[in-house]
Amino acid sequence: MMVENKNNPTRRHFLRDSLWGACLAGLGGIAGFLGRKSKGTNTVWQIDPELCVACGNCATYCVLEESAVKCVHAYAECGYCKICFGFFGPEPFDIDEAAENQLCPTGAIKRSFVEDPYYEYTIDEKLCNGCGKCVKGCNTFGNGSLFLQVRHDRCLNCNECSIAVACPSGAHKRVPANKPYLLKRVDHA
Amino acid sequence: MNRRLGTINIKIFAGVLAAVAIVIAGVAVVRLDTTGKKGSGLGKEYVYDIKELAKIDPNLILYEEAVEAISTGFTDSRAITVDSQGSIYTAGDKAIRVFAEGGNLVGEFKLADVPRCLTVSGDGKIYVGMKDRVEVYDGRGKRLASWESLGDDAVLTSIAVSKNDVFVADAGNRIVLRYDTAGKLINRIGERDKDRNVPGFVIPSPYFDLAVGHDGLLRVVDPGRHRIEAYTFDGDLEFWWGEFSAGVEGFCGCCNPVNFAILEDETFVTCEKGLTRVKIYDAKGAFVGVVAGPEQLVEGGTAGICQFPADCQAGGFDVAVDATGRILVLDTIKNVVRIFARREAG
Repeated sequence: MMVENKNNPTRRHFLRDSLWGACLAGLGGIAGFLGRKSKGTNTVWQIDPELCVACGNCATYCVLEESAVKCVHAYAECGYCKICFGFFGPEPFDIDEAAENQLCPTGAIKRSFVEDPYYEYTIDEKLCNGCGKCVKGCNTFGNGSLFLQVRHDRCLNCNECSIAVACPSGAHKRVPANKPYLLKRVDHA
Repeated sequence: MNRRLGTINIKIFAGVLAAVAIVIAGVAVVRLDTTGKKGSGLGKEYVYDIKELAKIDPNLILYEEAVEAISTGFTDSRAITVDSQGSIYTAGDKAIRVFAEGGNLVGEFKLADVPRCLTVSGDGKIYVGMKDRVEVYDGRGKRLASWESLGDDAVLTSIAVSKNDVFVADAGNRIVLRYDTAGKLINRIGERDKDRNVPGFVIPSPYFDLAVGHDGLLRVVDPGRHRIEAYTFDGDLEFWWGEFSAGVEGFCGCCNPVNFAILEDETFVTCEKGLTRVKIYDAKGAFVGVVAGPEQLVEGGTAGICQFPADCQAGGFDVAVDATGRILVLDTIKNVVRIFARREAG
């Protein structure tokens, strides 16, 4: 009787084991591919600045006590105006940084002199509550360089975002996670 | 017996409690606003309100809409001018449309690109400013010339012609270019120059208008400084007028006026964006009165034009005047020409 030597595999065993190995490698490849593909189609919430009407709902409908929505600034689109109506109220007493002249109720917009007559405006995100009042002012009189965005370091990415439900213009929508911000394009014409 | 009554009382109490809870829950659900229809709930300090600013004393309004508005037929109206015969030229989309004084369409010709501004010379040539170059057409729409491009940064916003000169406002490069009628560049006007006391133009947005005054000086809007400046053709800054004010006598917002025209009696007609107002100033820049305010020009009467960002940016109306003193306002939101005539006294 011939005894099979396990340390000396036959051609059949070799082919069978190779086939199993190839199948496992193929399954791994498919799983990896699908995993990568599903990661690419992950989405997050974001505000389309071309649809946003700065209604103020972002400030109050977010489940977070301090909204995940903040004002951001497209510097390339900004006119660096001396009299910025995103910074100043419609009827400022004076053209300076005194609180009574400022539009933002929380003082979240900072103004710094660049050169006569240009000023740079920056957002203090800790103070911004996403109310969009400055966005209204900038859109009405200026270039619309101030706009609202969901900040993904704060957003919980809820399955059903309460801001999206309350958004009157359909501006709050899902975007691919690998392109999480909808920034304003620069078009001076 | 007492125990039984006590059990019944507890059951009734529990039932009433459950009913009250259901009613409260029902009211809470009904009152719950998940759709945002009841507004943000933010206090009044968060509301952007310029309704009061939009109101204008009716006694200051000197003009009224004289005839029915003319539809330009464009989806994107850009500019308006009137020639010496009273014909109304409008630029928009990729075409020029010409209307008779009464409003009938009498001509149209297509362009290869979107026109930004236009003017008509005394000999009937039509100078059209495209984004980066000037094109010249005859009255039938035949292209006579296309001048050299001013580069990618150029955004031409206004063009004016005098006897021998053509002036072009380039908002992108913040400069006025003076050409001869053949398209040869003669000189540049408005570049910052301390020695000549020229501060340079401040142009935050693509609105930068100019016109040749009846006194022979070139008038150019410096919108970031809220004023109209007077230059010689050689580029010397002679004087200016205008100031920032939220009140009706001044120019409101970051950058106004956006456009202007000069009447035969040398008074100025100015257009503002944001708070859409068309107003009259005398030759020295003193406020005279209002042609039309937001209540006349904009649906809703206030900043309703800015419901969407794209609407806001379309709020820069253009203006032209004709020899009879009528003021023609190109409404770039509704794509119509609105014609205003001076109210009769009394």
